[in-house]
Amino acid sequence: MLPSFDAFGFLVSWGTFLGIYAILAVSLNLEVGLTGMANFGKVAFYGIGAYLAASLSVYAVLAVYHVAAAPYTTEGIIALGKYGGASPALDLGIFAASLVLGFIIAGCVGYLLTYPTLRVGPAFLGITLLAFGELLRIFLLNYQPLGASKGLSGIPHPFLWIPDPVLRERLYVLVVLGFLAVTLWFAERITNSPFGRVLKAVRDDEVAALCMGKHVPRVKATVLFIGSGMAGVAGVLLAFYMSSVNPNMFVPAVTFNIWAMVILGGMGNNKGAVVGAAIITFVDRILTFITPNLGITIITPDYVRWMIVGILIVLVLMFMPGGLVPEKPIKTPAWEAVESLEKESKEGGSGGDEA
Amino acid sequence: MTKPILEVKDLAKYFGGVKALDGVTLEVPERGVIGLIGPNGSGKTTLFNVVTGFYVPTRGEVWYAGERIDGLNPNEVFLKGLVRTFQIPRLFPSLTVLENVLLTPPRQVGERVLTAPFRSKWEEQEKELARKAVALLRKFGLGEYVRARVSELSAAHMKMIETIRGLITDARVYLLDEPAAGVAYTTARELFTFIRRLRDEEGLTFFIIEHRLEVLMDFVDYVYVLHNGRLLSEGKPDEVMSDPKVIEAYIGR
Ligand SMILES: Nc1ncnc2c1ncn2[C@@H]1O[C@H](COP(=O)(O)OP(=O)(O)OP(=O)(O)O)[C@@H](O)[C@H]1O
Ligand SMILES: [Mg+2]
Repeated sequence: MLPSFDAFGFLVSWGTFLGIYAILAVSLNLEVGLTGMANFGKVAFYGIGAYLAASLSVYAVLAVYHVAAAPYTTEGIIALGKYGGASPALDLGIFAASLVLGFIIAGCVGYLLTYPTLRVGPAFLGITLLAFGELLRIFLLNYQPLGASKGLSGIPHPFLWIPDPVLRERLYVLVVLGFLAVTLWFAERITNSPFGRVLKAVRDDEVAALCMGKHVPRVKATVLFIGSGMAGVAGVLLAFYMSSVNPNMFVPAVTFNIWAMVILGGMGNNKGAVVGAAIITFVDRILTFITPNLGITIITPDYVRWMIVGILIVLVLMFMPGGLVPEKPIKTPAWEAVESLEKESKEGGSGGDEA
Repeated sequence: MTKPILEVKDLAKYFGGVKALDGVTLEVPERGVIGLIGPNGSGKTTLFNVVTGFYVPTRGEVWYAGERIDGLNPNEVFLKGLVRTFQIPRLFPSLTVLENVLLTPPRQVGERVLTAPFRSKWEEQEKELARKAVALLRKFGLGEYVRARVSELSAAHMKMIETIRGLITDARVYLLDEPAAGVAYTTARELFTFIRRLRDEEGLTFFIIEHRLEVLMDFVDYVYVLHNGRLLSEGKPDEVMSDPKVIEAYIGR
């Protein structure tokens, strides 16, 4: 039926997108699922990470090899093709620097951008971020040093010095999934801690949380720093995988795609966000792999995917309102203390309450 | 009376034309158990709201432990050791009873984002707080509800948990807004007995709004009476209860 379906190739490609999108979904879940901040501008921080990686790497490679041409000119692109992969140390160094800077810069922008709006109210935050994302995209469309509408290409893959492209991709998917593992670990740890308890309290009733001594604006800004930093890392990983970036990769639809993942997987559950990301990226990858083979040209995969995603969300929410993996109570050592107290009072014979 | 820990000077709060508070001056002595009574709408809750930074006063000053605190944010007032409870409980609906109580203690090590991932840094504190929380919950017959969501509780239980989550903090002064409302008579008396004991043994200060005078009057040292946003009367419980102005205000409405 499908003459040339490369199953392993499919898995590698799916795994990479799954990893990148799951990082985004987990970070959005921290913001909206746990803290109740409707971030409608998620794509902006993803874009910042991607453009940071792209510009840092192309300008660095050209500078190191003393190429005078700009990276978006034909001459520049040819030079990038020539020198990318020439030095493993340079390629890996650029990759590492992009990841660190991508986290910090996207995180700081999130922090700075949202701090003033936090005091105004939750609806403002969502709209401000949505507008910021679009402004950023329009700026990129017109800003020549970053390639304007054509974007930047020739981003050197960190493993470009490995001659076999298949091996390169396989190594890269491991790196991406490694970052996902760290992100998920961190998210789960902070969720199941007194900090996570504060986040849920802020989500439930931020005025009451303020009256209980919690510095609500600082808590929110902290979460936006972390969430935006994670999105920045996802953007860096995307840029090196695609080897090029352009403004139309960062339209608002990307934000809503990440929201769909969180809603499908389960608001307030980090593992659910990963499940949601896995399902939706699977649909995406399958469609991209299959459509060329079917020879259909009237219906674009993009069109079909939004329909499938829509149907999936409606079906899941009808039968499982909390999503596929619903939110769970916070697990801290407090429960161990409670259990041992309950055991003691049972053994002591006096049933539970001391009147 | 010992020196005041909380002082309110000519405090006023207007909501448009409504003068919810209109120039109230009073003081709460350290280690006092002080009542605040008055008919519905007399401004009692508004006084608490202004003192704890929930509202900015229209006029007047609030002093706590020798420091002026009006204009501070509610979280700053809380961290200074001045804790309030809400008349209508404002518990966090998605948290369990235990988590609601565990949330309030300030400056928890595990609440900082950089220590949160490392359990060993805050595990002991968390367990200690959990033991304290369970002891308080059991004391008021709520031991079996630790795992319950607050939405599963009766109004009386919510009210008790609202008070308990205040008491688990290490604050020096507690402003309790009708802690006995809707609570069974014996439980209410147990609560007030406990409050007296906390004052005697730990030197805490309580300022308590209460409509159930039959409970309150047996436990307080001193009472302020508000009426239409102004101080109508003050004194020892029996003095206030026999004050014709107070009787008039309560019956005359
Ligand atoms: N946020 C607000 N906006 C407008 N008016 C308010 C507000 N809060 C209180 N008021 C008004 O201020 C007056 C005093 O209210 P407050 O809640 O302080 O009374 P109270 O003494 O606590 O009454 P109760 O015994 O019924 O709890 C009332 O007339 C009330 O309607
Ligand atoms: Mg009131």
